[in-house]
Amino acid sequence: MRMRPLWLAAAALLASSMPQPSSAQATRQVTDAAGRVVTLPVSVNRIADPWHANNATVLMLGGADKIVATTVQAQRQPWLRRLYPRIDQVPAAFNAAGDPNIETLIGARPDVILMAYDGSLPKWSAAMEAYHVPIVLMPNSSLAGLMTTVRITGQVLGAREAEVAEDYVRYFEGNIRRVRSVTSRLAASERPTVLHTASAGILTVDGRDTVIDDWITVAGGRNAAGVVGNGRPVTMEQVAAWDPDVIIVGTAPNQQSRQSILDDPRWREIKAVKAGRVLVNPTGAYLWDRHSAEAALQVLWAAKMLHPELFRSLDIKRETFDFYAKYFHYALTDDEYASIVNATGP
Amino acid sequence: MKRGALIAMILVPFAALYISLFIGRFDVSAADVARILASHFLPITRNWPASAETIVVQIRLPRAVMAIFVGSGLSISGAAYQGMFRNPLVSPDILGVSAASGFGAALALLCSRGAFALELIAFLFGILGVGLTYLLARTYRSTPILMLVLSGIIVAAFFSALLSGAKYVADPESRLPAITYWLLGSLNGTTMQSLAMALPPIVLGGAGLMLVRWRLNVLSMGEDEARSLGVRTDHLKGIIIVCTTLVTAAAVSVCGIVGWVGLVIPHLARMWVGPDHRVLLPAACSIGATYLLLIDDVARTASASEIPLGILTAMVGAPFFAYLLRRTQGAWQ
Repeated sequence: MRMRPLWLAAAALLASSMPQPSSAQATRQVTDAAGRVVTLPVSVNRIADPWHANNATVLMLGGADKIVATTVQAQRQPWLRRLYPRIDQVPAAFNAAGDPNIETLIGARPDVILMAYDGSLPKWSAAMEAYHVPIVLMPNSSLAGLMTTVRITGQVLGAREAEVAEDYVRYFEGNIRRVRSVTSRLAASERPTVLHTASAGILTVDGRDTVIDDWITVAGGRNAAGVVGNGRPVTMEQVAAWDPDVIIVGTAPNQQSRQSILDDPRWREIKAVKAGRVLVNPTGAYLWDRHSAEAALQVLWAAKMLHPELFRSLDIKRETFDFYAKYFHYALTDDEYASIVNATGP
Repeated sequence: MKRGALIAMILVPFAALYISLFIGRFDVSAADVARILASHFLPITRNWPASAETIVVQIRLPRAVMAIFVGSGLSISGAAYQGMFRNPLVSPDILGVSAASGFGAALALLCSRGAFALELIAFLFGILGVGLTYLLARTYRSTPILMLVLSGIIVAAFFSALLSGAKYVADPESRLPAITYWLLGSLNGTTMQSLAMALPPIVLGGAGLMLVRWRLNVLSMGEDEARSLGVRTDHLKGIIIVCTTLVTAAAVSVCGIVGWVGLVIPHLARMWVGPDHRVLLPAACSIGATYLLLIDDVARTASASEIPLGILTAMVGAPFFAYLLRRTQGAWQ
């Protein structure tokens, strides 16, 4: 065994080169969506955020300067770049699928990685655990989950951000209560059916068990799509069979997708088209309709769109101005507001 | 060939087309469908809902017609190529047309062009891909089969890489799913407009193949034999490639990548009518049309979600092919 000393030396070298958790460093614990108790440094100053929508949430909570690794998809959001130009300078360690370049990610030296929980840890989590970078998982796919996500994000970022998170959740719950106080009295027949389309160029719709289904229900509508999950492909004939009262066109390029629906003779007899109720979903720091901070505004907007006569006093413009001023510290102009509700980008 | 078979060849696709118009997720009574269809030829009072008419005339009819043309186009192209390449494993996309068209479509989806532009760009890229393959294979004023096959592999690999690149940079919320679903194949986007766009090249290419089908018999004996019988093989190969490419590029551009049809249907046709291309091509045409139409009926009615065509054609086609292969031990070849 002549090789053994060399082995040992190599192993020792390897061990010493691995970052060691400093035993002196004070820690705290956060429970994540998977029920894991994750140990974090008391002060978290560097976060990696592979969840596109959550980058705007971090900005809203006042922790954006702590983002050291983001995603190419977050960097593509025109409004996020307007609200927080530094996002372009942050290394995009994660691609559009949320998978990292491990070396870029390690090089960014994050204290923690914030992730959406889809039932399992990502396959690269072991590599990060070797570097003692904890991963915090956050719930996806419901409005309640969205609020939990905001709370966990706040807790991870720090006391100040956690306070903003609590304030935001109160505001969000307030909005839901405000809408529900009206819509909960509606009979099923008074609830318009809503079809929410999900992608450009091909007909896909959002079904049950999604954030979209949640806000449609809160806003006093019924999801027309009898399928489960986000972005399911459906046939034109199935859409005709559902015959929605309202169509909301989600995801860019919304205006163009809306126009192609209006121009297509196959859609002509659909109730929503006949009634002129084909709407474009607003898009701001992220898509309002998805798992974004602006979902708090989405419930108000959707309620106003579905029941304009019941929500006559609700001023979406006022609400949006206030929201952006309070949470993004940004004073919108009228034109900017129009570009958000029309999803045309700044 | 028996007269009965000839009649079946012509009647079955039309019967399938007629029946398909009665099938769907939307509740239109059979009587209404029949009356809506008849109202275009006979004076009938229109007392059905306008939505029923839209369903039958704007949605079901174009889609079923497209299925017929795409299915027959892919099958006839496959049969022609299998004869020309003298190889039963050949499918119409051997020269890279699907990969190139797929990339064209992905590009159009990335740039969010409308349906018209998407079909046009996919079609042109399909032509471009095969053009590249042909140029690459051209040596000493001839195009040997082996060079064609290898060039096709190269071009397909290159466009597949470009396609993956397009998917990689695509927006994961909207464009990536669109590209993914497009590639799985679907006739959901069929409108009168897309019919008007896809039918001319399919009919033109298909007619071209039909016209040269007796020469295919000579070519399938081998190039040297064909040449010694006075057939200008390079000339003929050029015609077959142009026709097949027109058909396949048009088919792929409107419905995405639908595998197995162009590979399996020619075999089925050969089992039915034998290897003589004069009857093989019409038979492939008829079977392919019926097959894709019936498959598409399943794709659009089996569940509330649309089932991608490419999944069904392979899921039905592969086991069926396996069964035939076991039963006949490949004897029909």
